[in-house]
Amino acid sequence: MIGLMKGLAYTLKELTREKVTYDYPHEPLPLPDRFRGIQKFYPEKCIVCNQCVNICPTECIQLTGKKHPDPTKKGKVIETYNINFEICILCDLCTEVCPTEAIVMTNNFELAEYSRDALYKDLAWLDENDTNIRRENKP
Amino acid sequence: MMLRTEEMILNVGPQHPSTHGVFRLILKIDGEIIQEATPVIGYLHRGTEKIAEGLQYTQIIPYTDRMDYLSAMTNNYVLCHAVETMMGIEVPERAEYLRVLAMELGRIASHLVWWGTYLLDLGATSPFLYAFREREMIINLLNELSGARLTFNYMRIGGVKWDAPDGWIDKVKQFVPYMREKLHGYHELVTGNEIFRQRVTGVGRYTKEEAISYSLSGVNLRSTGVKWDLRKDEPYSIYDRFDFDVPVRDGGDCLARYECRMAEIEQSLRIIEQACEQFPPEGPIMGKVPRIIKAPPGETFVRIEAPRGEIGCYIASDGKKEPYRLKFRRPSFYNLQILPKLLKGQNLANVIAILGSIDIVLGEVDG
Repeated sequence: MIGLMKGLAYTLKELTREKVTYDYPHEPLPLPDRFRGIQKFYPEKCIVCNQCVNICPTECIQLTGKKHPDPTKKGKVIETYNINFEICILCDLCTEVCPTEAIVMTNNFELAEYSRDALYKDLAWLDENDTNIRRENKP
Repeated sequence: MMLRTEEMILNVGPQHPSTHGVFRLILKIDGEIIQEATPVIGYLHRGTEKIAEGLQYTQIIPYTDRMDYLSAMTNNYVLCHAVETMMGIEVPERAEYLRVLAMELGRIASHLVWWGTYLLDLGATSPFLYAFREREMIINLLNELSGARLTFNYMRIGGVKWDAPDGWIDKVKQFVPYMREKLHGYHELVTGNEIFRQRVTGVGRYTKEEAISYSLSGVNLRSTGVKWDLRKDEPYSIYDRFDFDVPVRDGGDCLARYECRMAEIEQSLRIIEQACEQFPPEGPIMGKVPRIIKAPPGETFVRIEAPRGEIGCYIASDGKKEPYRLKFRRPSFYNLQILPKLLKGQNLANVIAILGSIDIVLGEVDG
């Protein structure tokens, strides 16, 4: 019986301890800078190198580019950029390979939607997603 | 008049609170005594090994996170270790220390989940809350380091993705004495409890020979008296630099497995403590790795000690960016095979106590 009483004493002692839970969702959850939420995309930085498309393990990124509108400049500019968030596993490899940091992670993780179509994030959506952006993007 | 009796089939799962994942157990019972137990697996099968054949080595790392999702760091490591062995890549010291810290923190987190849920299965609610409180601290530490709570994708071939953030090592240092105190409390709360001890002593017992013939590994093997821990017997990474013991028990029953796991938490804390002290103040976190990772033609097999046993990775390469064949030796899958033998002749009430003590993760069983 001694063991049992000791256990009860332990729970009684714990009763007076400080609360460890958050009042989520009324209180925002503190997240570290490196936390991986949905991506933010900067169309002006993208050089259409296709590296994010090639590295994505689930093939959830699709993009198309077009010739630079300014004929004096070489290279391409982005035309469409889509992430199928149904299958994105937030592995962070796209931001790791991006040479111009055109795609970066944010801390936004509350991504539930009522329809599956809403999970297809296009260029406009990803461009507007500009809150809680990761500050330090490259190691 | 004689009562007519007949055997009954009882279905447990696949959605059952005690199966921790999606696992089905078909029990043939005579009264309350189990005559035959048939595990049905595959509900979480995603074909990781087949998918890997079409992916570059770096792309496979996030998939390993999803096998044993309670200790993803060891899974990350085994794949990177296999590719590094094939290519002869040297990993910088700082990266090795970060890997060991991450893996040992993961091991503690994994054992805490086991401890909490095992007691929950046996009918005690409060240990679960305490275990998850401490686990949350570990997860926060790993979240700060890698950017994710469970699916870390932290290790890379030749090193790690991120260096430790400012003050992270100090936080880990502070966590060690805190966890030791809590561990002491756990023993006070559960280990000495007479009801718990009666519930698990002598239940689900198997011998050393049986454990070896079923190729059990990890705690399931060490609880029968076999001192076999790859961190000691086949040191990989930098484990030969740390002073720690391999907890062994002779009982081979649920209590022995419980005691082994609890002792392992203590040993992991010792490793973390030493790793924090020895942590190099500066240095690179990535070794010299070619831009395109191509393993040379040939094959390799490496194995390491995961919280659930020996996890192995076999790679056959034909010199391309993708592996020709990749296989994981997933410890939960092998450990689960002894279950039908253990359940035969047992009382129905012991099913959960025995299943829980083997500590399987279905993501790993199904692959």
